[in-house]
Amino acid sequence: MSLKKNDEMDHNAWLKRQDLTVIETAFLTTLIWVDKRLRIVDYLELLETMYYRANLQMPKSHTEQYDLDNKFWYWYPLYSLGSLSIIAYLVAAVSGAMLGFYYSPSTAGAAAQGDPTAAYDSVVMILQDVQFGFMLRSIHSWAAQFMVAAVFLHMLRVYFTGAYKEPREVNWILGVVLIGLTLFFGFSGYVLPWKQLSFWAAQIGVEMALATPIVGEWAAQLLFGGFTLGQATLVRMYILHVFVLPFVVTSLIALHVGIVWVQGIAEPH
Amino acid sequence: MTDDNEPMTDGGTDEDARTDGGPPATVPPDDETPTWSERKERSQGLAQLTYQYFERSRREDEDLRAESTYVERDVLGFPAWPHETIRNLAITSFFIGMLIFIAALMPPHFGHPANPGSTPAIILPDWYLYWSFGLLKLNPLNPQLAVLDGNILLGNEFLGIIAHGIVFGAIGLVPFLNKGSARRPVEEPFWAGVGVTGVVLSLTLAALAIQNFFPFELDLLVTLTFLLPVLCGIITYAVLKTMREGYMYDLNRRYYMLRPPK
Repeated sequence: MSLKKNDEMDHNAWLKRQDLTVIETAFLTTLIWVDKRLRIVDYLELLETMYYRANLQMPKSHTEQYDLDNKFWYWYPLYSLGSLSIIAYLVAAVSGAMLGFYYSPSTAGAAAQGDPTAAYDSVVMILQDVQFGFMLRSIHSWAAQFMVAAVFLHMLRVYFTGAYKEPREVNWILGVVLIGLTLFFGFSGYVLPWKQLSFWAAQIGVEMALATPIVGEWAAQLLFGGFTLGQATLVRMYILHVFVLPFVVTSLIALHVGIVWVQGIAEPH
Repeated sequence: MTDDNEPMTDGGTDEDARTDGGPPATVPPDDETPTWSERKERSQGLAQLTYQYFERSRREDEDLRAESTYVERDVLGFPAWPHETIRNLAITSFFIGMLIFIAALMPPHFGHPANPGSTPAIILPDWYLYWSFGLLKLNPLNPQLAVLDGNILLGNEFLGIIAHGIVFGAIGLVPFLNKGSARRPVEEPFWAGVGVTGVVLSLTLAALAIQNFFPFELDLLVTLTFLLPVLCGIITYAVLKTMREGYMYDLNRRYYMLRPPK
């Protein structure tokens, strides 16, 4: 018996035994070289498994299965409104975070009634001095408009295709809550620049709160920081807009999408 | 050794459960100790009901699957991944491109600083709150009761808030009122009519909110605000009801033959 080491897994010998082209040899040599150091085969196997799992999970779609309509594709944009609102929300979040670097929620600095406040001035600064600031505010504003529009149209799509029916009632109610929060998101953002229309929109908000019996005054204190508008209102709207609502809305969206994920998309029958 | 008969911690004097000189042995399982399957079955209370329901629904699923004539799984909705996600990302990225394009083309207007001293002639929220603002302008509808010497019962703003509650409540109730497996508007002309009524109502309420933009008689506007949606709803109902027969023939031929409605 030879004492010479007998390598069962002598890949180079195996390579030589085979009749390979130059390209194949180069590829295998590289693969073996890398694999000896990093054991990428394990990861490749993992990838392969994932690939097959993903492919196994692709049943025929509803429309394919029942041959419902070969022109179904023109409804697709309506079915993407939910994700459009999420993506618009993400765009608004990123641009909003950047705007937040420069914005200051303060009503200080107005010598007389109607003078620009610190908040107003900071927005003017964003518009005029900050590099790309004008575009940033424009994108933030339009992202909000897109999100609200997409959310409304998404609700109409769900209504008219009966997608809210039996197993999905909870998600419909969650969606109604999300619409309300989206509108409040928009409202609180509308107040922040503290321009003339912001102020009077907030004034209507306070009056609405105060008109409500029993909880009205408490709600006015909580949301607007008092019965007349001022520094407290602006700070509360700011905190609601950049801290409270983002957390609440993001987690509700995650829940909303999670339920859709579990239940599957309701295509029209 | 010395005191074998000394009571154990549980009060008994069990000779068998004691090894030579050692500490008391572990008490062996008797007949009353539940086996693992018994533990899993949860023989009492809410836990039992939960277990039974899970077993039932699992069996129901299996039966349905066995009865099904389809080779594929019984599709009630198709997977979010990958169909929907990939398709949505493609369409959505187009719309995000549009967003940035529009943002560059039409930057939003920036008004004058806030002045608590002067009320502007036109107060308006963003367009998506016009319907809500319209609900606040329903004061012509507020009942003026003779018994109260023509005083109003509710504040005008509180009326608007009640209207908001009614709107959100009605939308939330929809899935509990409309049941069944019908999906397309033609299959349910009534509910399609209700939907169109709601959409048009939101538009007319928006028109009510910006009433001071155009010279229009207020009473007529308030009447139209509620009449127009109902009218549109009725028209939708009539049209869909007429379309229904021919459409359902098609649907029945294609689809319900394969999958009869409940």
